[in-house]
Amino acid sequence: MRASELFVLVSIIVFIFSLAYITSLGGLGQLPPVNVRLLAQRYLELTWNPLKPFMSSSGYESVTAIVWDFRGLDTFFETAVFYGAIIAAIAIYRGVKISGKGRTTGMSPIARTITRLSTILIPTVAASIALHGHLTPGGGFQAGSVATVIVVLIIMVFGRKALIRKGMTKARILLFRSLGLLGIGFTAVAILLAGTALGLNAYVFQNQPKPFAPLGFPKLYDGMILGGSLLLFNLFEFIAVTAGFTLVLLLLSLGEEEVRGVVEK
Amino acid sequence: MVNLKSAIPAMVLSFIIYIVYTGSIGPYDILTGAIVAVIIGLLTGAIVVKDPGKTFDPRRLYWLIKYTIWYFLVAEVKAHVDVIKRALSPRMPLNPAIVRVPYYVETDYAMTTIANSITNTPGTVVVDIDYDRKVFYVHWIDAKTSDPGEARKMISLEFEEHAGKIFD
Repeated sequence: MRASELFVLVSIIVFIFSLAYITSLGGLGQLPPVNVRLLAQRYLELTWNPLKPFMSSSGYESVTAIVWDFRGLDTFFETAVFYGAIIAAIAIYRGVKISGKGRTTGMSPIARTITRLSTILIPTVAASIALHGHLTPGGGFQAGSVATVIVVLIIMVFGRKALIRKGMTKARILLFRSLGLLGIGFTAVAILLAGTALGLNAYVFQNQPKPFAPLGFPKLYDGMILGGSLLLFNLFEFIAVTAGFTLVLLLLSLGEEEVRGVVEK
Repeated sequence: MVNLKSAIPAMVLSFIIYIVYTGSIGPYDILTGAIVAVIIGLLTGAIVVKDPGKTFDPRRLYWLIKYTIWYFLVAEVKAHVDVIKRALSPRMPLNPAIVRVPYYVETDYAMTTIANSITNTPGTVVVDIDYDRKVFYVHWIDAKTSDPGEARKMISLEFEEHAGKIFD
C-alpha cells in the first residue's frame, strides 16, 4: 500500500469516527428526547393489553395499531392524498377510449401458462396479508401492492387488451376503488353513527369502547382475534389500493397513438 | 364466465396456498381462507382449469408427487454436480450450442412443466419455443448432439414422460 492510499484510508476512518462522536454529543442537532422513546414504549405496551382495555387497540401488530387506530386520522388523510393523485391521473387521461378490441400477441405459451396459475397464487397471498394485518406484519396497503403484481404480469404477458376483455374495464375498477374508499370512510364513522342512533356517546375513528363511550368493534369471537376496526380498514384499503394501482397501470399501458387524438384536441 | 366445476380445483389450490402462506391453522385462518378461496376460485377457475375431471385423479397426483421428489432430489442434483465439475475443472470443458428439442405432449401445463424442468436444471435453458411445430430451442452447456431426437432423449425424455402422465 502506498503512502497516499494509507492517508486516504486513515482520513476516512477519522472522519467517520469524529462524525459519530459529534453526533452522540448532540453537535448535529438535538438527539430525540427521552419522552419520544416513551411514546414508543406506550405504543408497544398498549397495542394488545387486556389489562387496560380502554387504552389498548385490538390486534397484535403494533404498526397496524398505530396506522389505523392510534393515529388513524393521519392515515385517513394520507389515503386521501394517494387517491387524489389517482384521480389526477384519471383526469389527465379523460376522454381516452380504453378498448379491449384487437389482437394481442403477448409473450410465449410458457409465460402464459405460469401467469394463469399465478392468478390464483398472487391474489391468495395478498388476501392473507390483508386479513392478517392485525396479527402479523402486513396490512391493506402491502396486500394491495402484492395483488398489483398479477395485474403487471397480465398486462405484460397477455397484453392490456386481454385484461379488459376479462372484465377489468375502467368503469369496473373505478367502482371497486370507490367501494374501498367508502368502506374506509364508513368504518371511520360506524361507531359514531351507531352511537348517535342509540343515543350513546361515541367518537370518530373509535375502535374499542372508551370510558363513557361503550360501543366498539368486536375484538374477539370464540377465541378468534377479529382485530376490531383494524381488520375492516385493512380489508377496504386492500380493495382500494389494488383498484387504484390497477387503474394507473391500465392508463400507463396505453400507447401514444391511443392517447394522441385526445392530446391534440 | 363462472364455471363451477372448474372453480372447485382452483378453490382447493387457493385454500392450500392461503394456509401454507399464513403458516397457522387456527379457526380464524380456516374461516378467512375458505372465504378467500371461494372468491378467488370462482374468479379464476375458468382461466386456470380447462378439464376439471383430471384434477382429483389419484394416479395423476401420484405421478405429480413422484415426479416432484425425483426431479428435486435426483435430476437437479445430477445436473448441479455436472455443472460444478465443469466450473471447477481447469480445462473448462464447455461445448455450448442451441439445439432443437421436440416435445409431443398435448396440454399447455405439460409443455410448461417440461420447459421449466429443462430451464431449472443447470446446464440447459429453454431460450425459445415454436408452439406450432412443438419444438423448444434449448441452450445446452455441453451439446453432445445436434440431432433433435437424440437431444430430446438426453435432455427432456424423462421430464416429458412424467409431465404427460400428470397433465395429458
